[in-house]
Amino acid sequence: MSTLLITITQVSILLAFIMVMVLILTYLERKVLARIQMRMGPMRTGPYGILQSLADMMKLLAKEDIRPHGSDRMLFYLAPLFVFVPSFLIWITIPFTRNIVVENLELGLFYIVAVSTVSIVGMVLAGWASGGKYSILGSARSAAQLISYELPLVFVIAGVGILAQSFNLITIVNQQSSIPAIVYQPLGFTIFFVAGLAEVGRIPFDIPHAESEVVGGPFVEYSGIRWSIFFLAEYANTLAIATLSVLLFLGGWSGPLTEHFEWLQPIWLILKVSAILFLIFWIRATLPRFRIDQLMQFAWKILLPLSFVYIMVNATVPFVETVITSNAASNQLTGIAQIILGACQILILFLVAFAISKRRKKYLTHLHQGVPA
Amino acid sequence: MISIFRGLITTLKTTFRRPVTVQYPSTHLPLTPRYMGFPVLTWDFKIQEPYCTGCLVCARVCPTDVITVSMKDNPKAANEESHRRKIVNDFKLDISNCILCGLCVEFCNFDAIIMSDFHEEGSLTRVEQDLPLVTLLDMGKEMQDKGKFTPPPPKKRPPAKAKKDEPATDADPEKQES
Repeated sequence: MSTLLITITQVSILLAFIMVMVLILTYLERKVLARIQMRMGPMRTGPYGILQSLADMMKLLAKEDIRPHGSDRMLFYLAPLFVFVPSFLIWITIPFTRNIVVENLELGLFYIVAVSTVSIVGMVLAGWASGGKYSILGSARSAAQLISYELPLVFVIAGVGILAQSFNLITIVNQQSSIPAIVYQPLGFTIFFVAGLAEVGRIPFDIPHAESEVVGGPFVEYSGIRWSIFFLAEYANTLAIATLSVLLFLGGWSGPLTEHFEWLQPIWLILKVSAILFLIFWIRATLPRFRIDQLMQFAWKILLPLSFVYIMVNATVPFVETVITSNAASNQLTGIAQIILGACQILILFLVAFAISKRRKKYLTHLHQGVPA
Repeated sequence: MISIFRGLITTLKTTFRRPVTVQYPSTHLPLTPRYMGFPVLTWDFKIQEPYCTGCLVCARVCPTDVITVSMKDNPKAANEESHRRKIVNDFKLDISNCILCGLCVEFCNFDAIIMSDFHEEGSLTRVEQDLPLVTLLDMGKEMQDKGKFTPPPPKKRPPAKAKKDEPATDADPEKQES
């Protein structure tokens, strides 16, 4: 009984934490975006507009909850939960420091991949239950995108698991206590970050709810609190992807001085996550949206083969190392192996970038045939 | 591929520029010297009365019919204090319909109406949008204090004798006619 109570308390604290983080995140996003566009962002509600997201939340809660005529009643009310619950469940196994974690699962990464896939069902349900053509179109598009980008994401996570010989997030972070994994697997970080952006529908990949094309994707017909649940899920996912890329590739909470001062660990984690979030906002302010065919081509022709190559490299280098040194006991890479792995991955990255620009140039010359550039 | 990073650098540069936003109700952009706001009436500080004689030229020329004027006999003209035999009795300007065209200023024979730089005259009711004579004169005085108005050269009441006393006004015969 008491364990149940403890679990409930932990989960509700986590829920409150996510809510507050989403509020802060929307405020920060608006501020950063405004700064990049040389504006000021929200300034009226409270000093420097810090109460803006709170006011927005109040507005959303006060709005009328509309269910369109001809929609499926039960599915329409169920779909927001299908989207939100997985994005919340992910957080159960994400550690903030070595000790602060709700449930330290041995197969944490696998659990995250398995659970987050469920939200696709929610998207499709939302579009279908709304009973409108724009929503069903939006849900088809988002399902196509999410399934396409799920694969590279899973392969990258598998590659990380191969290298770390563990799916436990705390173990993976502990292995990076000396150097962050991005140094010897830059390719993995790139694929994970790009596929993650697509997975949460951030801007170069925001096909699911391309406001200027299909109004709001699967969420067109939703309003008020139900729409805000989708919104909440989206930002919780963004935060989860940022935190995961920090945990898997940027060394998580490990940083200078953390050995001596335990309380520095969450601060390092927050700093790193903020950096990744800034990168996400920055990309949002810079890049235009992909077309749907470009999106699919990028996923299936570039990202997926690249993630295959990543797995192969990640599997080969440790294998060769154990064969050469005949030291099968340790599951940590030696320094030289790390350097070789990093060099391989950077080389692959450059080759792919070169190939893409070459192809692009060819495409452009084909486009402007006879027209001097 | 390179262009993506180039774009990112561009947006990073703009991040550290000063925002162009002006927090409007608390701070204002500076007005240009020839800014045309609502027309206001001027005040003759020498005689302490408005320049306006209520001649109705502005009301007739106004394309949106926002000006209402009436005229009365000037009490100061009786005891020789003023050269104006008629003076404005009542003046009303409906700024909700005024299009700031400046035709009234263009056509006024006495420089009695000028374009001000007042532009924030919003109100909650439509009645308040009809500015009465007193308000218009107060606004005009404010504009005159700012030096936005050069008073017209004094009219020579007895035209024959004052010629050699005021050579400056004689040099500008066109202004006298208008």
